[in-house]
Amino acid sequence: MAACRALVSRAVLPLHFHYVSRGVMLTHVREKKRWMKAYTLIMERKRKMEGPPPPKPRSQQTNFDYHAEVEAFGARVQERFSLELLKTAFVNTCYLRSEEERRRALGHDLETTALNLKDNGELCVHGQEFTKGFLSDWCRGSFPSLPEEGVAAVVGHLTGSEVMCHVARNLALEDLTMSAEFPVPDETLQGTFFAVIGALEQSSGSVRAGLFIRDFLVTQLIGKDLFDMWKVVDPMGLLVKELSRKGIALPEPRLIRSAGASTVLPLYFVGLYSDRKLLAQGPGETVLAAEEEAARVALRKLYGFTENRRPWDFTAPREQLQKPSAQALSSR
Amino acid sequence: MGCLLPQSPHCWQWATFARSWFLIDARMQPPGKIASMCSVRLQGKHKPIYHPLSDIGDHVVVMNTRHIAFSGNKWEQKVYSSHTGYPGSFKQLTAAQMHKKDPTAIIKLAVYGMLPKNLTRRTMMQRLHLFPDDVLPEDILKNLTEELPQPREIPRKLSEYTQEERNAFPMLWTPPEDYRMK
Repeated sequence: MAACRALVSRAVLPLHFHYVSRGVMLTHVREKKRWMKAYTLIMERKRKMEGPPPPKPRSQQTNFDYHAEVEAFGARVQERFSLELLKTAFVNTCYLRSEEERRRALGHDLETTALNLKDNGELCVHGQEFTKGFLSDWCRGSFPSLPEEGVAAVVGHLTGSEVMCHVARNLALEDLTMSAEFPVPDETLQGTFFAVIGALEQSSGSVRAGLFIRDFLVTQLIGKDLFDMWKVVDPMGLLVKELSRKGIALPEPRLIRSAGASTVLPLYFVGLYSDRKLLAQGPGETVLAAEEEAARVALRKLYGFTENRRPWDFTAPREQLQKPSAQALSSR
Repeated sequence: MGCLLPQSPHCWQWATFARSWFLIDARMQPPGKIASMCSVRLQGKHKPIYHPLSDIGDHVVVMNTRHIAFSGNKWEQKVYSSHTGYPGSFKQLTAAQMHKKDPTAIIKLAVYGMLPKNLTRRTMMQRLHLFPDDVLPEDILKNLTEELPQPREIPRKLSEYTQEERNAFPMLWTPPEDYRMK
C-alpha cells in the first residue's frame, strides 16, 4: 500500500488512486483524469488559505447518543449516578439562555413550549463547597504541620481552573457539557465539574464523592513541589516564625561551598544551622539566592512536603476517609 | 533528617551542571598520578552525568609544579622529543632540562597525553591552570571549590623526626664504643 502510494506520488504509475483511508487505497479507476491535478491543487490552496477547519463539538459529529454517553460516563468512572441529576449537572445557564433566544428567534411561543431543563447552578455551588471542604480536610490530615495559608494555597491550586479543566477534558466532560460556546470556556467547564461532583454526592453519598475527588484531583498533586502552588515571598521570615513557634534556635546562614565566584556562572551552597546543627542547605547563583533556597528546603522539611516522603496510599478506600483526623500515612 | 536532594526549582539544575574549581598541590608528588587525577576531572568523568559530548568538565588548578618528584631515574632517563618538521630540528630534552626550561611543562604534557585525542582536548587544556609555586592570583583563589587529597603520602626526612622518635626506633645491633661509622 505504501509502496503503491509512493510510486503514484513519484508519478511512476500514471494512475489516480481513490484514497479511502490510511490502509486502503483503490487503484481501480478507469483512466487518468485530466481535471484531477488542477482540482487537487486548487483544494490544497484553499485549505492552506483558510487554515484548519474550526473545531466542532462532539455532539454535532456523527455517532453521538447523549443518553448512552451519559450512562457510559458513569460506567467509565465506576460510579452509579442518578441520571437526572447528572444530566442537570451538565446543563449550564448560558446554554439555557442561548436555547431560549434561539426558540424565540424561531418564533416558538415560550409559554406553551417551555424549556423544562434545570440549571446546574445549585449543584455547582454544592459541589464546590464539598470539594473544598474535603480537600482541606485531606490536606490537613496528611500534612499536619502545614499552616492555613499553605492548605488554602494547595486547595486553591487543585480547585483552580487549570487543574480542573485538565482533568475535566481528559474525563470527556467537554463532550457532555451543554454550553453556549464551543470550545467550552474554562470557567464553564470548571463549574460543570463541580456540578458533577455535587450530583455524585447527592446520588451516592459523601464517601463515594470523596473517593472520586481523591482519585481524580488529589492525584494531580503527584510530583508537584509545595512552592509551585504556594507563592511565598519571604521564606526566611516564615522559617524564623515557624522555628520560634516551635522553640528551636533561630537559623544562622553559613556559606558551605562556592565555585567560580569571580566567573559569570557562580554557584554558592548556603547551609542554615540552628544551634550548631545543619537544618538544610540550598544552592544558588548568588549568596542571597542560595540562602533563600536553603530556607525553602528547610520549610519543605518542616511541613513534610519533601520528595522522599512516604507516598499517599491510594489503594485503601474505606477506613482512611471515615477517620481523616486519625491518619498519619503521609508522614515525613 | 529528611530530603536534602534536588526538588523542582531551577537552582538545583544549576547546581548539577555548574563547573567546580579543584586545587591540587603537586609538592613531592609523581607527575603522572597528578596528571591522571587532573584528566579525570577535566573530562568530567567524576560526575554521574558524564557524556563525552556534554562538556561538563571542571577547572583544575595545580600549584607547586616546580616541586614535583619523579620516581626512579626519570629525571635523567625520561626524554621529551619534538620535531617541527623542518630538517635538523629534532630536539630531545631530558626531563631535568625540560623542567629547568619551564617548570609547568612536564605536568602539562602529561595531562595533554592523558586526555581523549579529539577536538575537546584543547578546551579541557584551557581549563587546566598550572602554577610553579604556591602563589596563586586572586581571582583564581576566589573561584576554588575544594582541594583534592594528594595521591602520594610524602615520607618524612630524617631531619623531620624528633630525637625521641629516633631513640625509640628499634636498633638491629648495638655497635661497640670505638666503632667508626663511615
